[in-house]
Order: sequence, then C-alpha cells, then structure tokens
Amino acid sequence: MIKPDKTVVKETISVALWSVIFSLIMQAIFLLIGKWDYTVLLGNLWGASVMVLNFYTMGLFVQKAVVAQEDDAKKIMKLSHMLRTLALFALIVIGVVVPWFSTLTVIISLFLSHFAILCKAYKDNFNLKKEESAQDE
Amino acid sequence: MFEIAVAIILGCCALGAGTAMVAGIGPGIGEGNAVAKACEAIGRQPESKGDVTTTMLMGCAIAETTGLYALVIAILLIFVAPNMFIEILKSAIG
Repeated sequence: MIKPDKTVVKETISVALWSVIFSLIMQAIFLLIGKWDYTVLLGNLWGASVMVLNFYTMGLFVQKAVVAQEDDAKKIMKLSHMLRTLALFALIVIGVVVPWFSTLTVIISLFLSHFAILCKAYKDNFNLKKEESAQDE
Repeated sequence: MFEIAVAIILGCCALGAGTAMVAGIGPGIGEGNAVAKACEAIGRQPESKGDVTTTMLMGCAIAETTGLYALVIAILLIFVAPNMFIEILKSAIG
C-alpha cells in the first residue's frame, strides 16, 4: 500500500472541492429547467466520485513514478493508464446501465473534474502573475 | 430482413466503439513520456519534487481528457446507440 504524498492529497482535495462547486451548479441548472429527479443527483454523485477517485489513483501512480528510473517511470504510467481506463470503463458502464443513475448526468459529471483542473490551473496562473507583478513593483 | 438490419446496426456500433478506443493509446504514451521527463527534472533538482509532482498531476489529468472522450463515445456506442437506432428502424418500418 502506497502512503499518499502531501501534494497528492492536497491536489485531490482541491479537485474534489471544485467538482462539488460545479456539481452544485449543474444541479441548480437541472432544477431550473424542471428536469431534476433523484437519478440526476445519484448520477452526478456517481460520476464525480469516480473521477475524483481516478484523479487520486493517478496521483498515487505519479508519486510512485517520479522517484523511479526514467524507463520504469514510463512503464508505471502506461500500466497506470491501462488499469485506470479499464476501471473507468467498468464504473461508467454501471452508471449507464443501472436505472438509478441518469446517463446524461453521469457523463457530464465525468468532465466536471477536468473543468475543475482547468479552473484551478487558471487560478494558480493568475495568482502567480499577481505575485510576480507585486514583486516587480 | 429486420434481423439483418439489427445485426448490421450492432456490428457497426461495436466497430465504432473499437475504433474510438484507438484514441486511448495516445494519452498512455504521452503520460509515460511526461513522467519520464519529470524524473529527469527531479534528478537534476531534487528540491523541486513537490512542484514537479503538482505540475505532473495537472498535466496528466488534462492529457487524459482525450482518452476519456473516446471512452465515453465507446460506451455510448455500445450501450445507448443500438437501442436508439433499433427504435428508429422499428418506427421507420412501422
């Protein structure tokens, strides 16, 4: 069992928080258009949890890979990608096939964590530029 | 005749799903190369391990998006599209 690094835990929590924000926005939109029911909520929870778990697992593999030799790191990441894709396939199929989950919200939720990462990257970049301009002044 | 049409629909959906998953190869290779370079960077400057890991995590997650698109398309082609096309076929036949 790999002990998660401080960086991995911090980034996962940050992505999870952003995903929660986007999920709330999505739920609000479904409520506004009058299409909300329990399957929308469950589908959103399922999709977002799967993607946060996928990010955490990727973090663990990256943590393991960055301290390995170059060739071993490549192999670790290729293996990680293959295993995570298979796990994602199984978990998304459950989300699509089981009637408790709305297929549309499961699929939208899969991309929420990517929006979250993009937003976080823009925010970090903005803060960095702000710090640099403050130092210049 | 109807059975043949259904078989063609199912076969085409399966072929499409398989073809879509070719896009899953790229992120695997890309992530591998990126992490290999990250190892090199950490080897040169071990004190930057935290920053490199953070950048790597974000980069890998973004690189994986194309693979995820392919996976979603494949799943939709296998589990959602056949029923939809068969319904369209049924309504067309009447």
